[in-house]
Amino acid sequence: MKTPIVLVLAMLAQAAGDTCLSKGMKTIASLNQPDEFSLLMLVRAMESPMIWIGIICLLIFFAMFSVSLSWADLSFVMPVLSFGYILKVASAAHFLDETVTPVRWAGTLFIVIGVLLVSKSGSGSGERSGTAAGGNAPD
Amino acid sequence: MMTVFMIVLIVLSNAAGDVYITKGMKQVGEVSTLNPRELLAIAKRVATNGNMLLGIFCLAVSFFSFLTILTWADMSFVAPATSSVYVVAILGAKFVLMERIDTLRWAGTFLICVGVALICMS
Repeated sequence: MKTPIVLVLAMLAQAAGDTCLSKGMKTIASLNQPDEFSLLMLVRAMESPMIWIGIICLLIFFAMFSVSLSWADLSFVMPVLSFGYILKVASAAHFLDETVTPVRWAGTLFIVIGVLLVSKSGSGSGERSGTAAGGNAPD
Repeated sequence: MMTVFMIVLIVLSNAAGDVYITKGMKQVGEVSTLNPRELLAIAKRVATNGNMLLGIFCLAVSFFSFLTILTWADMSFVAPATSSVYVVAILGAKFVLMERIDTLRWAGTFLICVGVALICMS
């Protein structure tokens, strides 16, 4: 039970973090000339609340990611978290007004099918529960 | 040439970071509590675990290399690098972490790799 909860939290945090950072960086970039990537830009970035929220969200993601790895296989967690890419696409479409191209839809489909396959695969989601899918028989 | 080197660096350090973090967290032990005092003890173990620190360092290398390459390369060019991390990481999981990976998981991971590449390239 904890695996789905932790991983969903991780995905939400990652999507939120990326969106906030993107939004924050776009605001910063619009304040400067494009070729003016300087430390000044980073200083400005630190003043942005969006950036701070983004950083906190990504830290939450990292905590959830690490926690899930304390009991689950990396080969399970990584693919499942890739589902977050779909959240990122949806979030960018909604909050950042980016258009979702057909190529992106295709990519989303690939990821969905891929994640389904991995979640059905036999070993190491790690939970010692009675479920048939994902339990690894102890050696 | 520099671009290729940077992409290889990004992929390898990202996958290595993930593998080390997995190794470290397995050593720290399963986190199955919400008790604040126990969580604090766990956090201390995490902060002093060599594999975790190495893993975080590798991820930092990957992240900053990624930012650097973005100053001269297009995101859509770097995209396959991002997606191939999934395949490299699963190889690391198999050979370094000794995880058992069945056909379904290989297939799923490969599909995800393609999907991520498509998303990042558009």
